[in-house]
Amino acid sequence: MTMPNESADALLQVAGVSHSFGGLHVLRGVDFSVPAGSLTALIGPNGAGKSTLFNIISGFLPPQRGTVRFDGRDITREAVQTRTRAGLLRTFQTPKVFAKLSVRENLMIGCHRHLSSGVTGNMLRSGRSRAEVEMMRAQAAEAGERFGLQEVMERPAGQVPAGKQRLVELARGCVSRPRLLMLDEPSSGLNTTEIGQLRELLQRLSREGITILLVSHDMHLVDVASRVHVLCFGSIIASGSMAQIKEDDRVRKAYLGV
Amino acid sequence: MSPPVVANGKSLGRALVWGIPLLVWAALPFIATRHIVDLLVFAGLYTIAGLGVAFLLGQCGIVSLAQSVFYGIGAYSTAWFCLHKGLPSPVGMAAGIALSTGIAAVVGWPVLRLSGHFLALATLALGVIGQVLFLEWDWLTGGTLGIGGIPRIAPFGFAFDTPLRFYFLVWPIALLLLVLHHNLLHSRNGLALRAMRDSPEAAAVLGVDIHKLKVQMFVLSAALGSAAGSLFAHYVTFVSVDSFAIDRAINFLLLAVLGGVYTVWGPVLGALFITVLPQWLSRLGDIHAFVFAAALIAAVILLPEGFGGAIRNWWRARAAR
Repeated sequence: MTMPNESADALLQVAGVSHSFGGLHVLRGVDFSVPAGSLTALIGPNGAGKSTLFNIISGFLPPQRGTVRFDGRDITREAVQTRTRAGLLRTFQTPKVFAKLSVRENLMIGCHRHLSSGVTGNMLRSGRSRAEVEMMRAQAAEAGERFGLQEVMERPAGQVPAGKQRLVELARGCVSRPRLLMLDEPSSGLNTTEIGQLRELLQRLSREGITILLVSHDMHLVDVASRVHVLCFGSIIASGSMAQIKEDDRVRKAYLGV
Repeated sequence: MSPPVVANGKSLGRALVWGIPLLVWAALPFIATRHIVDLLVFAGLYTIAGLGVAFLLGQCGIVSLAQSVFYGIGAYSTAWFCLHKGLPSPVGMAAGIALSTGIAAVVGWPVLRLSGHFLALATLALGVIGQVLFLEWDWLTGGTLGIGGIPRIAPFGFAFDTPLRFYFLVWPIALLLLVLHHNLLHSRNGLALRAMRDSPEAAAVLGVDIHKLKVQMFVLSAALGSAAGSLFAHYVTFVSVDSFAIDRAINFLLLAVLGGVYTVWGPVLGALFITVLPQWLSRLGDIHAFVFAAALIAAVILLPEGFGGAIRNWWRARAAR
């Protein structure tokens, strides 16, 4: 059920990625792509290799074989921050907020990749340095309002509830204006209402033009994706719309258990 | 009408918070003994070098035991250029800073890929290597005999040749550096540093080049150590290897921890503690070293965020009431 010629307009292209831990083959020549502007989901049962693949795409783990291309450029061996500067940004399964920084400061730092003042200019409070801080504050205030975080803006991010921390991480990522936002199990730890809000948020971000790659096992959330790839025992076994995926015999057998 | 009264009260409080220490600082050298003023000068020098250690630890999580090396390089550069070459003080200081920052960049680039205890041990090794080289290269450093007769800082014929005069040189420099540090912490890179401390992975994901930032901070720390060393050489006019042994690096780390690494002015309190308190306790006789050690242990146990952190927390709790 793989979509024909889906890599033509791909923002992210993963080709032949393999990885083993000792004798355990976690990924076996994975090929898939994420078209620009799409909301794509990557699903699979526990142990399918989703997290390893996610770490390879985001630069936390170099693959033993295969390539990762972003906007046509080979980024397989590039550092995490270099990928970020290119516009690829990820979140974590357990939200990684800057616990001692306020929520406002967490959001402010989302702008980092777009700024360029140096340490010396910062120490001397150069015009650029001051303008950057003003810009960061403005962006943080806007994101705080947009994501409903106004009431907790001055609180240390480590002290806000888990659901809010998830939102802080997401809002911080959006402040960074990524071209590809990769979300790792964004619904874990959220209640039903919050998952509903997250669905709406993802749809809104997608409409705003941010390409999203979503890793989740929450079918209710994955429903928002226009394309779904199913990873099972280190290989992509099916790709297509959620309706098509649900009808695929291999998926039903391997993942949905029906 | 109440808001203006509150505002005035706050302004008054702020003025007192800044004004009283400033008045005490300005008046102190005129009422204290020459010996105490001498100690306060050393506290100023240690504040500058300790600030470098404090922000490395507080913002980057780097335990540096190499600051004595940069302190020594600053002092010997000043001795070499100002005494042997007859060049003005700023040249000696600039040469020391250039050499220290160069070494910090070259050594820091590979070493700062380590973390935790391994990194601390690597900086300790750097401190020990520096100590040995200062001793062995006696053709340059004078070894244990040292180098004497280093000229005083004397801009436009005004020599900073007494503790009182040097007090009014070293502390404004320390204050200026604290202000620059404060500016850095409240900027783009300062936020990145604090973010990196909390979650390096998340900081990297947002585009922070963690390794580069750590190296930059190590270089900055070396510059502070070197500047303090240059000022030290001009003040005491004599430098020898004993002043740059590894125990000096431990002192800098100690003052940073005691003062508190999360506040800008923590190193000031830490430096005052380790310079003034032992002298003040010496009136107790032989037992004074024991009492100082007990005070150190108590401070570390009771004030895990140092004096600066304790005062800041108290101030915030008071403001929240």
